[in-house]
Amino acid sequence: MTELLVEPFRLPYMQRALLEVLLLGALAGVVGVFVVLRRLAFVSDALTHTIFPGVVIAHLLDRSLLLGALAFGVLTAVLLTGITSSSRRVGADAALAILLTSFFSLGVVLVSRTRTYTADLTVFLFGRVLAVDRADLLQTLALAAVVAGTLWALRKELVLRAFDPDGAAAMGYRTAALDLVLNLLIALVVVAAVKAVGTVLVVALIVVPAAAARLLADRVATTAVLACALGALGGWLGLAASYEVSVDHGVRLASGATIVVVLVALFALAAAAAPLRRRRRGPGNPRGVARWIRSARAAAR
Amino acid sequence: MEAEPPVLELRHVAVAYDRVPVVEDVDGTVLAGQSVALIGPNGAGKSTLIKAILGLVPVVRGSVAVLGRPPQASRRQVAYVPQADTLDTEFPVSAFQAVLMGRYPRVGFIRRPGAADRQAAWQALDAVGLAELASARFGILSGGQRQRVLLARAIAQEPRLLLLDEPFNGVDALSQELLLAALRRLRTGGAAVVMATHDLGLAHLACDEVCLLNRHQIGFGPIGTTLTAERLRATYGGQALELRGDGVIVARP
Repeated sequence: MTELLVEPFRLPYMQRALLEVLLLGALAGVVGVFVVLRRLAFVSDALTHTIFPGVVIAHLLDRSLLLGALAFGVLTAVLLTGITSSSRRVGADAALAILLTSFFSLGVVLVSRTRTYTADLTVFLFGRVLAVDRADLLQTLALAAVVAGTLWALRKELVLRAFDPDGAAAMGYRTAALDLVLNLLIALVVVAAVKAVGTVLVVALIVVPAAAARLLADRVATTAVLACALGALGGWLGLAASYEVSVDHGVRLASGATIVVVLVALFALAAAAAPLRRRRRGPGNPRGVARWIRSARAAAR
Repeated sequence: MEAEPPVLELRHVAVAYDRVPVVEDVDGTVLAGQSVALIGPNGAGKSTLIKAILGLVPVVRGSVAVLGRPPQASRRQVAYVPQADTLDTEFPVSAFQAVLMGRYPRVGFIRRPGAADRQAAWQALDAVGLAELASARFGILSGGQRQRVLLARAIAQEPRLLLLDEPFNGVDALSQELLLAALRRLRTGGAAVVMATHDLGLAHLACDEVCLLNRHQIGFGPIGTTLTAERLRATYGGQALELRGDGVIVARP
């Protein structure tokens, strides 16, 4: 087992890949908690697609992919906040779908002009975690620090806004501003993940660990810790599995996609374990709690 | 020394969404310790008026003053209790955490709630009779218990004006008693209360003033003299029924 999970990471490029997926898994996991609580999975998916043309344009202009992704991430985070809070006649979901497909098509049109069309497209869509270098790692680290710091600073307010938007507004919080911040954070996670897992699969990194954690925990803090751990675990196991199969069995497995498959398997385990956990702790109904308090008091006497 | 301004002063208030007036010509004053029932059928503009008092929708004519200032400037003194059944019952927070949220504006960004905030949340939860269920998840509580948690959150805000939207909808008898008792204590402490309600009986129990609304104000004053058969018919139109004999009016929402 150690051979399988530790051995591959003696190689420097595998070490960098491991650090990258651990960071991304944890980061996407914790941001994902807010995505799942706010039911913004489709918004996140739209963001991943709208950032794609930014990456392509940066590539064509020979600029930093990060800057291109960042510019489009900010642009679409602003557009999305506007769409989800205002469009009544078209419907937010239809408006999102239009935004998603139009930006994505723009990216494909632009990338189709290059000679190395399919190779480029594959890299931008699915990433190349084994090609992550020191500079990429540092970029991811910096983005992770910004996202984690912002989440920490606004954790109370973001939870309150997710729980009770009217109540938050009545307390004087600008909910539209909080929404914009969350959309920007999601965009930053996508930006951080572009190089390693590509724009398409990052939504799985955001949504799947958080959804699994949601099944297992009934406090926001525990959900966040679990989502972090599951995201990092999925990254590690997925990377190790893709290496093992590719090197020892000669079957080429794309690392990014393998990570997603592992994450979904973890989600399935969580879904299977959730009813067991509920049964063990009781249905959690108030009568159960009252009974527990009575028995604890009796024991104290 | 200047006299303290009333807790709430509404002067010919009109509120509109997209230039379509929703409620017009609301005029009245609420003093400390008073409780006003906003009574009217669905769509009468009760919730809109509450939002205007919170400063969340713009007033197109007239003025709203909370403690002598515009609503936005007095938010720290105002607490709002939404209908419990509008909130997600799967949300992973405990009753205590939901109450503690009432302290967030005081705590501010970044910082975590301190001992005084936790103490205030405990006392508020105790005041609505839910201290034993503090660690239960909000969503597993009954409708009445969830409504009490939301009132406790408002109490933890230590408000001088409390706004409630249909606080007794789908609430069991015990919860209703405890809600009424907690509201009485708040008023004794000098807070003013404004509640939207369909229930005329509960309005009598919980309030001493009434504001009758149906897109415009039909009456505002002491509940005993303002809640007349004639005004109720004007408020509810065809939905008001007159019982024979003692002339009691029953209005269906």
